[in-house]
Amino acid sequence: MAKTRDDQRLELLQGTLDMLILRTLQWGPQHGHGIGQAIRAQSDDLLKVETGSLYPAMHRLEKRGWLKSEWGVSEANQRAKFYQLTAAGKAQLSRERDRWSQLVGAIGRIMNPAGSE
Amino acid sequence: MRPDDRELDEEIRGHLALSVKERVERGDTPEVARLAALREFGYIPAARESMRRVWYSRWFDMAEALAQDLRIGLRSLLRAKGMAATVVMTLALGIGANAAIFSVVRSVLLRPLVNRDEARLIYIRQSAPGLGTDNLTFSVPEIADLKASVTSIGAFGDFSTVDFTLTGLGDARLVKAGVVSGSFFDVMGLRPVLGRLLTTGDDGPNADGAAVLTHRFWSSALNSDPSVVGQTIGLGTRTATIVGVLEPSVPYPADTEVIANIVTSPHHLGATMVTGRTHRMTELFGRLAPGATLESARVELNAVYAAMVSAHPDSYSRKAGTQISATPLRDQITSPARTILLLLLAAAAVVFVIACSNVANLILARSVRREGELAVRAALGASAGALRRTLLAESLVLCGAGAVLGVLLARPLVAVVASFASRFSVRALDVTVDASVLWVGAGLAMVAAVLLAYVPRLPSLDSGSGRPEQGRRAAQTPTGPGLASAGVRLTPSTTRRLRVFATVQIALSFVLLAGAGMLVATLMALQTASTGYDTRRVLALDIPVAIGDYGPKAITFYEEIMRRVGQLPGVDGVAVGSFVPWRDAGTFGPGVSFAFEGFVPADGEEDPRARLRIVSPRFFEVVGMPLVAGRAFTDDDRGGGEPVVVVSQSVAQRMFPNGEALNRKFWWTDPYFGTPVPRRIVGVVADVDDEHVVSAPALTVYLPFQQMGVAGRVFLRTAGDPYALVAPVRRVVRELSPNQPVERPATLEDVRATVLTPERLHAFVVSGFAGVALLIAVVGVAGVLAFGVSARTREFGVRLAVGSSPRSLLMGVLAEGVVIVTIGIAAGLAGGYACAGIAARYVAGIEWPGVGPVLAAAAVVGSGAVLASLLPAARASRVDVLQALRSE
Repeated sequence: MAKTRDDQRLELLQGTLDMLILRTLQWGPQHGHGIGQAIRAQSDDLLKVETGSLYPAMHRLEKRGWLKSEWGVSEANQRAKFYQLTAAGKAQLSRERDRWSQLVGAIGRIMNPAGSE
Repeated sequence: MRPDDRELDEEIRGHLALSVKERVERGDTPEVARLAALREFGYIPAARESMRRVWYSRWFDMAEALAQDLRIGLRSLLRAKGMAATVVMTLALGIGANAAIFSVVRSVLLRPLVNRDEARLIYIRQSAPGLGTDNLTFSVPEIADLKASVTSIGAFGDFSTVDFTLTGLGDARLVKAGVVSGSFFDVMGLRPVLGRLLTTGDDGPNADGAAVLTHRFWSSALNSDPSVVGQTIGLGTRTATIVGVLEPSVPYPADTEVIANIVTSPHHLGATMVTGRTHRMTELFGRLAPGATLESARVELNAVYAAMVSAHPDSYSRKAGTQISATPLRDQITSPARTILLLLLAAAAVVFVIACSNVANLILARSVRREGELAVRAALGASAGALRRTLLAESLVLCGAGAVLGVLLARPLVAVVASFASRFSVRALDVTVDASVLWVGAGLAMVAAVLLAYVPRLPSLDSGSGRPEQGRRAAQTPTGPGLASAGVRLTPSTTRRLRVFATVQIALSFVLLAGAGMLVATLMALQTASTGYDTRRVLALDIPVAIGDYGPKAITFYEEIMRRVGQLPGVDGVAVGSFVPWRDAGTFGPGVSFAFEGFVPADGEEDPRARLRIVSPRFFEVVGMPLVAGRAFTDDDRGGGEPVVVVSQSVAQRMFPNGEALNRKFWWTDPYFGTPVPRRIVGVVADVDDEHVVSAPALTVYLPFQQMGVAGRVFLRTAGDPYALVAPVRRVVRELSPNQPVERPATLEDVRATVLTPERLHAFVVSGFAGVALLIAVVGVAGVLAFGVSARTREFGVRLAVGSSPRSLLMGVLAEGVVIVTIGIAAGLAGGYACAGIAARYVAGIEWPGVGPVLAAAAVVGSGAVLASLLPAARASRVDVLQALRSE
């Protein structure tokens, strides 16, 4: 796995961590470590999630009812807490996805106005 | 499901394990992998705290910490059971007494009346300070004048009290009735529970007689029988229909059975009543007009009254100094109870302060013993706040337990205090225990807890950590090197605080005790005072006849009663009169003006006034009043004979200083008697005071019954048990007249005892408080000295070892107790007089205690405290030298 140097990594935009967690869990239940790894891997190592903020975020999502958790045993035979999307979490994910594409579109229109190319 | 702390830890551990495992699989050594994983995670406690905060609020954590402290506090208190029990009991007494009295004060003084819009209801009173009369009442013309001119009072209601013989509801009975005009109930804002109340339609001389029953009479005497409404009853010589039953309400100005319209009382229709400006017997109420305030009503009343007085100068003498006043009805009703309830509240507050300072002492002493423990905790990094929180938790446990016990104690106390207060205000009859007891209890406990937590001194961090000090339980607790076992260390400031608290307790309990002593002394003086009557052997009964029967008919009636009753076995003498001493006090106003042969009034001087009493022959003999000169009345002093009087010794001495009262002429000058009739003074009798239980020579003039034809009270001189004669007398009277009420039989001794009941209760209740306070204070002094002795065991051992005699140690400790007591009593004396001075400004009738009660209180407090000091002093003198020295 190619290592990306720390100064090339991108800071997460505020408010996007929740969306990324929900999105990651769309593929199935996962524990905190796995979620962190998945976000990093899928972003080609560009996004690095602070563990110190990942866990509180997952607990926040669980408290709001978008995730539910269950103790289980990981692939490495280690006891871990697995998080899973709930129906409400799925709805929330699609809402956040819509808002995200609107945001990206809007920012994109400002940064690259039509006809400037 | 909110995760608990264990789960959070496990999740973090799991993450680290996975992270390490992954790195090891990538080829890192376990050591490097572990460090990298930890570095990647960041500061674990911070992350853990953020995770926790998602589920648990800050308040939850604080509550949890407090609960933890409380658990620790409870455990540490359980190790000091004796001290904890003393503290809890002391606080329970203080809190219970306060909660009980406060809830009575609340429901008696502060609770609104049932009357509609009661805040606008006022009571109007005419008084004549110059005659010593605080309630002159009003006459019908006066009320008419006020009604005509005062606009800030929307409506007036009037009420006069009349005794009726009630017939038609079972046995004939004597009832107190209110006679009112139709506006009364509307002004008072009362509703019926049955039928209707009186209205203006019931006014006037041609209306039908109508009566409303009071709720008390209807529910107690008539068993709440609804069928009485519509029934016709006899009220004296008239009849009336019962039109309704009044809702339960505070009976004021008089607790009557019946309230009837004007037409039921012939007297109210007579010319004397309707036109006599000085014929006053009516109480007056008013309802403030919309927009008017009590102040504006007072101003207007005073102006109208002043105009009225100057329009009729002959009816308002300058000497009488008549005046008018208006008070909210609720204040008027509760005023008799106000002073005593506030006094009790003050006494309870003092007991609470004493209890708190005693508890503060115990806690202070305890904290000295555990100074070592606190020092160790401070040395280990506990902040001052954390230590304070521990102390707060402990005092919360103590005060909470005290409050619970106090509230439990308050429930029966409320009943006691309420029955006591009901002597002064009928409102106290329906006092119930309500939530205010709980609030007061909890509030006081909180106050006590916070105060108590700040009593002990915290070990200061800089010196406390290095200094070798350790509590008594050093042997059981592991001690670090350098924290050597020493005796309890008593700093001067702690000693000073302990003594200040003990002094405060002595001072306060001395004040209470002096107050109680004053009340007891007053009571004893009253009970042992000579009355001039043979109180034990004389039985008095009310056997009234209707006003219409006064005159020859009444004379025949009472003569026959005297003849027949006199024949009963066990009767040594029988007489009739117009006035039962003390019981009838206040019913005849301020006395009647008179003049006598040789009396020349100085310019502007008014005629003297004397009490007018009508008595039959043998009256003086029956009640035991010795004749000083001349003769008593005989059966020959009757209508048509020579008009005669007997005067009291004070009349004879004051009016005839040369001792020539006998055979001089005397006459009433009050217009009520019409043309003055000169009467010859035939006798002089010893002075009695039948109005006041505290006797003072009173100008009294006795008229012969058979010349006046007015009586109503029968007196029997008995040989055996006076009350055994009640049934035979009643039988004899009923034989003579079947509908004749025979009421309120009582010996003069019992009449006087009843009148003295409030004084007895005051003395009893305040003595109770003082006793509790004294007990707490004595325990407090003993505790302080005992603690001082135990803290100075070593010092005493050394002193014994170098040759001090045990006696001198004993005297030393005793002297300390004496100093505390002396300062306490001095402080109490100064503080008590200062407080009484302040209180006298707000509460009328504060009396200064005499020297006797103060000295007695000082003696009791002093000897109690010295006795309490003996125990610790004895212990000081018996200190085992070897053991004391070895303990270091």
